Amino acid sequence: MTRDTLSKHAFMWPAFLIVLIVTLFPLIYALTVSFQTVRIVPPMPPEYVGLRNYAEILESGRFWNAIGVTATIVFISVMFQYVIGYALALTLHHNVPGASLYRVAFLLPMFMAPVCVALIARMLFHPVLGPVNEFFTLFGLANIPFLTNPTLAISVLIVIEIWQWTPFVVLLMLAGLQGLPNEVFEAARVDNISTWRRFRDITFPMLLPLSIAVIFIRLIEGFKVIDTIFVLTGGGPGTSTETLTLFAYNEGFKKFNIGMASALSFLFLIVVILFGTVYLAAAQRLTRRYQ
Amino acid sequence: MENQLHKRIGLGVALTWLFICLFPLWWVLVTAFKPPLAVSQGATYIPFLDFKPTLQAFRDAFSGIRGDFMSPIFSSLAVSTVSTALSVLLGSMAAYALVRFEFRIKLLAGIVFAIIAIGGFIFTKEALGWSVPAALGSMMIIALVTSVWLNGKKLPGPIMKNDDVTFWFVSQRMFPPIVSAFALFLLYAEMNKSGVRMLDSFAGLVLAYTAFGLPFAVWLMRDFFSTIPVEVEEAAMVDNIGRMRIFFQIVLPMSKPGLVATSMIVLSFIWNEFLFALLLTSSKWQTLPILLAGQNSSRGDEWWAISVAALISVIPMIIVAIFLGRMMRSGLLAGSIK
Repeated sequence: MTRDTLSKHAFMWPAFLIVLIVTLFPLIYALTVSFQTVRIVPPMPPEYVGLRNYAEILESGRFWNAIGVTATIVFISVMFQYVIGYALALTLHHNVPGASLYRVAFLLPMFMAPVCVALIARMLFHPVLGPVNEFFTLFGLANIPFLTNPTLAISVLIVIEIWQWTPFVVLLMLAGLQGLPNEVFEAARVDNISTWRRFRDITFPMLLPLSIAVIFIRLIEGFKVIDTIFVLTGGGPGTSTETLTLFAYNEGFKKFNIGMASALSFLFLIVVILFGTVYLAAAQRLTRRYQ
Repeated sequence: MENQLHKRIGLGVALTWLFICLFPLWWVLVTAFKPPLAVSQGATYIPFLDFKPTLQAFRDAFSGIRGDFMSPIFSSLAVSTVSTALSVLLGSMAAYALVRFEFRIKLLAGIVFAIIAIGGFIFTKEALGWSVPAALGSMMIIALVTSVWLNGKKLPGPIMKNDDVTFWFVSQRMFPPIVSAFALFLLYAEMNKSGVRMLDSFAGLVLAYTAFGLPFAVWLMRDFFSTIPVEVEEAAMVDNIGRMRIFFQIVLPMSKPGLVATSMIVLSFIWNEFLFALLLTSSKWQTLPILLAGQNSSRGDEWWAISVAALISVIPMIIVAIFLGRMMRSGLLAGSIK
């Protein structure tokens, strides 16, 4: 018994300590920094200013702009990811010819570095030399400034997010479809229920909990987006594509305003927690209504 | 009849997406072989027909004339393999403990931990003037010891069980990484000041990435372990074989497919990670994603060079994707979503 208690702790503690040291440890430090003014350039002795950093951020238009940009990119792209991903998972599940080839090909984008995807996108969406430009030229729309027009730049970023992360939805929804009991579908087929109704009345409700989880993961992951934007537009033109993470990075590493950047990242954390709570509560209601 | 139609629509959807998926990859593959002229005169797609392929870009990259490629490749390889190995090993151990033992953690002990850690840190740093690493380190240890001791006592309030511990691990991923990356940068900078080199070092990166990979490893491995029948282990226990030996000689070999899948997923996350590397490295230990991001500003129009760099970072991941695609067919990943 005692030996087992010992090994129980020996198994758990290394992982627990590492996560504690790397995440919680610095977090406490950053929390205290967020109530101070700390500047590296020009160096200033740290000084406690209470909630002033937070107030300043909440009053700045740039913060709300960053929230707006992040929300636009995340919500629109996740919506498309879910719809396209679900459709693809359904087709793969019903064994279209060559399914095993698709499976590998569909996974590929997810495993590429977002930085790398952004570099490729930069070539593809080049206003003069890129193939997308060539495609649009066919319709008489030559040299569209994809990355320098604010609306178009956001659209391009959304397209990239969809391209890269739809595979994630495919992967999980397909696994979910494969886990469904076959008998229900056999019965439905015998009763001659149409494919659409089979999906609406059986598949969709049964996979609703999984769908909610998948969308949740994608939304939370989407909020973190920085790499593609960092490479593709750098937040520009102006601050029209600046997301929250990029804003915090610029504040901390371009302006070296560390107190501000810490406060900003905590506000970001609060936004994510608030959103997550609301989402999960809404999701619970939705599932209950279906049951 | 209806079925036939559906099959055709399905095939159409799949083929369209296949094209969308593969076109950018094809583009980067052929661009790596393009001579400058084939880039500057508009889009070209097919080697030999549209342009004459050349290996010049690869030669440039590996001879090192155009910036150092080998050192980021080496640091990416070293950092991602070591941290993947560490996080899968430690994560499996924690996951195994979560499946086979019962944990009871009192909420009150956790709250006491937070109060001592935060309050003690502010007090020792501001009132006693300790350095940041010293204040944080000592308070962490005091807080940890106190809360572990308290946890053994009778306490009122809710008790957290194994599922809560798992949730705690997974919830680390819900944090926006800028929060911890930024904080970690500040802390590493402080440690550099007091003589322990953490910024732009192998140890600093591996520590950060091991913590980064651990939540996935714990979450995925827990599901794999819970499908392993407990009887084998019970038989070994009767023979008085220790838990450590049971774990390393019986349980781990039995869950090899799970280990491979988990390692690949964790490896891909670490290999592609950008934000931590951006903040925590400056020159010596820069990883591939940072090099790639730099390519963009340093050689905007030299697409062949950019493509070569992109290819180098993509190829290992293509191998990973092929592996996982195979596993997906065998339904191996189906278990991990429940």
